[in-house]
Amino acid sequence: MLNFLPLSFGAPLVLVALLALPVLWWLLKVTPPLPRRTLFPPLRLLRGLQDEEQTPAATPWWLLLLRLLAAALLILALADPLLGRPPQLAAPGPLVLVVDNGWAAAKDWTASQELIADLLHSARGRAIAIIPTAGAAPAGLLNEGEAARIAKELKPMPWPGDRKAAAAALGRFKFTVAPALYWLSDGIEDNSTPLRDALRRYGGVTVYAPERLPLGLLPVTRDASGFAVTALRAGTSAVQETEVAAIGARGETLAATKVRFTRGETRARGHIALPMEVRNATARLAVSGEESAGALQLLDKGASQHSAGIVSETSGEGQPLLSDVYYLERALSPYAEIAKGTISALLDKNVSVLLLADVAKIPGTDMERVKAFVAKGGMLIRFAGQRITNGADDLVPVPLRVGGRYLGSAMAWSSPQRLAPFTATSPFNGLEIPAEVTVTRQVLAEPSSEIDNRAWARLTDGTPLITARAEGQGWIVMFHITASPTWSSLPISGLYVDMLKRLLALSAGTPARDLAGLTSLPPVSLLDGFGQPAAPSADAAPILAREFARTRVSPRHPPGLYGAHEVESALNTLAANDALTPLSGTNAQPYGNTQAQALEPYLLAAAMLLLLMDALLALALRGFTPRKLKWIGAAAAFLLIVPQARADDATAMKAALDTRLAYVKTGLADVDATSQAGLTGLGMGLRARTSYEPLEPMGVDPERDDLSLYPLLYWPMDPRAKNLSPRAQSRIGDFMRQGGTIMFDTRDLSLGAVRGASSPGEQTLRRLTGGLDMPPLEPLPADHVLTKAFYILRDFPGRWTGGRLWVEALPPAPKNGAPPARGGDGVSPIIIGGNDWAAAWAVDGNGRFLSTPSPGGELQREMALRFGINLVIYALTGNYKTDVVHAPALLQRLGNERR
Amino acid sequence: MSNFSALQHEADGLSAGLPPLMVQADHLAASVSLGVHGRRRAGMGESFWQFRRYASPDSAGAIDWRQSAKSQHIFVREREWEAAQTVWFWRDASANMAFKSGAVSKRARTDLLLMAMASLLVRGGERVGFVGMDGAPASSRVALTRIGRALFSKGDNALPPRAPFARGNQMVWFSDFLDTSALEAMKDLSRRGMAGHLVRIVDPAEDDFPYNGRTRFESPLGESDEIFGRAERVRSAYRSRFTAHGERVTDAALKLGWTCTTHRTDQAPQSSLIALHAAIGGT
Repeated sequence: MLNFLPLSFGAPLVLVALLALPVLWWLLKVTPPLPRRTLFPPLRLLRGLQDEEQTPAATPWWLLLLRLLAAALLILALADPLLGRPPQLAAPGPLVLVVDNGWAAAKDWTASQELIADLLHSARGRAIAIIPTAGAAPAGLLNEGEAARIAKELKPMPWPGDRKAAAAALGRFKFTVAPALYWLSDGIEDNSTPLRDALRRYGGVTVYAPERLPLGLLPVTRDASGFAVTALRAGTSAVQETEVAAIGARGETLAATKVRFTRGETRARGHIALPMEVRNATARLAVSGEESAGALQLLDKGASQHSAGIVSETSGEGQPLLSDVYYLERALSPYAEIAKGTISALLDKNVSVLLLADVAKIPGTDMERVKAFVAKGGMLIRFAGQRITNGADDLVPVPLRVGGRYLGSAMAWSSPQRLAPFTATSPFNGLEIPAEVTVTRQVLAEPSSEIDNRAWARLTDGTPLITARAEGQGWIVMFHITASPTWSSLPISGLYVDMLKRLLALSAGTPARDLAGLTSLPPVSLLDGFGQPAAPSADAAPILAREFARTRVSPRHPPGLYGAHEVESALNTLAANDALTPLSGTNAQPYGNTQAQALEPYLLAAAMLLLLMDALLALALRGFTPRKLKWIGAAAAFLLIVPQARADDATAMKAALDTRLAYVKTGLADVDATSQAGLTGLGMGLRARTSYEPLEPMGVDPERDDLSLYPLLYWPMDPRAKNLSPRAQSRIGDFMRQGGTIMFDTRDLSLGAVRGASSPGEQTLRRLTGGLDMPPLEPLPADHVLTKAFYILRDFPGRWTGGRLWVEALPPAPKNGAPPARGGDGVSPIIIGGNDWAAAWAVDGNGRFLSTPSPGGELQREMALRFGINLVIYALTGNYKTDVVHAPALLQRLGNERR
Repeated sequence: MSNFSALQHEADGLSAGLPPLMVQADHLAASVSLGVHGRRRAGMGESFWQFRRYASPDSAGAIDWRQSAKSQHIFVREREWEAAQTVWFWRDASANMAFKSGAVSKRARTDLLLMAMASLLVRGGERVGFVGMDGAPASSRVALTRIGRALFSKGDNALPPRAPFARGNQMVWFSDFLDTSALEAMKDLSRRGMAGHLVRIVDPAEDDFPYNGRTRFESPLGESDEIFGRAERVRSAYRSRFTAHGERVTDAALKLGWTCTTHRTDQAPQSSLIALHAAIGGT
């Protein structure tokens, strides 16, 4: 039998106990069940009676079967059955597992975990050594329990594994018996010779490797239209196709492209074209379906939401490599949206950074605007140039001398100057200064006492190169060189980009102090081995800013984002020159065809269930009827809740699939019926007159139902209504905060002869909503959008007329030229009135109205309906109608622009 | 001190059931209408009995002038003697009576019937009392309260204790009469001139024997148990014994001129109450 079923037993001898089952059966059969006990007063009359058959009524056969089954299951469970064949260990000695757990192992991690579990299962009773390639190996041999725990805690790491270290760790073990060696590799050739040698010393090793080798993603280059991506694979044999996706900060896929590895190629190139805004929203690129840190490239995070405007006086259309604009654009485009044009046009577009390349004098009309722009927090970055040598305006950090300074030219004594290291207060502090950056020409600042504080960068001889001054809430920054490499080689160095990046961060609100502190970049958020974001661990060390570009991923520096807010640099697992090669020289077995599933827990659980059932049945046989067992009732009640939950779902589906009018169920049949009929009548009115065609209204119970599915709730007040539970109160609060509107109808004259604060409806309202966070209210102003949402209304009659309508207080109307309608932002979360509208709208099944509005009759009903329509349209469209008021002005403006 | 408070506590617990019982009993009694029954002889009373010739010891106020004016003689109007009887109650307080197979125990039903009957008799102007209670029988609600107290007092006597019974007093005796010593006690009472009514309270389970399968029967009185492997097999034998026992009790009562009614606790109490009242009123 065992040969046909993929079933094996860890302790087959226990199965002998199955032979005892017939004995058990016999024992159970001869032992009578316990008698049911009962009191019986006329006991004397029973004396001497014989029930002919004294053999005890046998235990019922089904109970017998149940008990035998439980016993059999118990025996089977103890025999430790396995579904599937566990691997047979090759050697009698301890089990040694070398586990690749670098990033490349992440893809097949589940399979290798299962294999580890199987191997541990087979190695019952032996000593075990687990040597991960990434991460410290535990010294010494482990027992079964420790090994299982360590194996469970083993995770792929985001850095590559170190097989040399693993080989060294392996070399420290001494075995008396030949160990069973297993190498669970990731299939990638990476310095595997030492490990192979170390393994060979102990004897034969079984190597596992994944069938589909992991893919990697090389660093992404940005170009004018998007991202150029390069995927990397290990094998070269077949044509392979995969997908690379651009992923946003919240994990949403923004775009994807297919890349194709042709035969013999390990790299596949692709391009993801994205508009600038989307490009800025991209947080990382990843190979789809590969969950590993290596198949993912994080992008530097700059002030992505910022827009920079570039103004240049030099046209330079013909020679782009000499144009200031070209270099600025190249440097800024990864980090900001770039606009070009005149100063006034750019300021109209609300840029946050204004770059003026060689603009000596800002035209008089623009001067005030630029000053205001800086004062309000804008950043003005100016570059020197030919024009500025003739004198600049006063929007510069330091006064400039007329003329310039030539260094290292044929006519000059001095040689081209290099940059001095940045001072500790400079926002550029920490940036690496490439040795090749030289300055041949610059404009000079007038010497002054302030210049020390204002110089952010100097040349080695001490002349300020970049100066800055805080002005209002903004900054004026001056590069004393051109934006193009005409005067210096700075614009063609990486430092230029880094400097501009930090300036963008400064304009985005990062304090200059923080930027100055960025000599070493602390980890901000890191990746785990699967490429998922993780919080920085204590082991992750900051990276010196000037060494960042050369830093490779390691246990001390896991991949992730390093730096400060808005100036985060990405450290990625794979660098541009990396390559993957498949593991060579072994015939590795694939993962995944050896899993054995331990059946013991399931069998034990089944046996326990059967025994529990047996106990219940025995109780029942002895006279404990289920009626007496209260918890069975509880269980039944639980089972009844499930259909109830389904019904709730059905209601929610109904509400979610259509926009419906809804009222709050008060639990009072008459009030609820009026609400239902009222909203039905209002729905008929809406269907006839507007484009909104509501289906039949729904009643909601704030204690149970999800309110977020309804835009508007009609809530009639009645003194008999019950108080709300805290849960319902918080639901209603959420509903109002999330933009829902509740129409409270205090039904003043329907409930009594009083209006106002002492009316029963209003008192109920106060009682029910006492615990809610209510916005400030005001009587509906005459220019409120509710009076104009569909019909133009002056008063709001319902069944009754008069009374006041309260809404959330609007911000006060502007003094000059108040618009014809005001609505504030969003919809008033709460509208309170007392005219019993539902009664006015209420219709019966045939569409006949149920009540007579007083005193105005049918005319008043018409007005009530109009109010209802306004109310619904207001709740559905919000302040759209207030905006429509501006339509003529908007059209006019659009016309102007076209011209 | 502690003994006293324990007793008081227990007494409170016991008498807590009393007011509801009295209300219930009153309701039950009100459903059976009744009047004072005459003794069919001249005496103190309301209703006319006969005219009689005036004799010397009669007072002048007793003369019926209208009747006397019709003839030569002077007549005196006599009224029927409406005397109250004394009815004693007793109910078996043994543990057997605590048995119940359904919602009502035999004792609870007994107490209800007893109180209802007493209430009915008090309305009819009879004197009622409980054997062994404090105070003499009375024809007011005070008597009912006394009976109630006696019902809820401690004690598990199956047989009535000796009491100052007068000849002609009636006895209403509630019990299951499973113990044949009750019949001896009845004979003794009868010898002392008491008329009586036995009310045999039967639980449906005692009558029908609805038991199946392996069952151990235990006595509430602590006698030895009986186990049957298949209880259903002894059902018919038991039922014939039970019926025979019932007939024995009835026969013994009839022989002494007493009556015997049987009440099953799953029946409505009214029917038994009416039957019982008819038995007493018919005397």
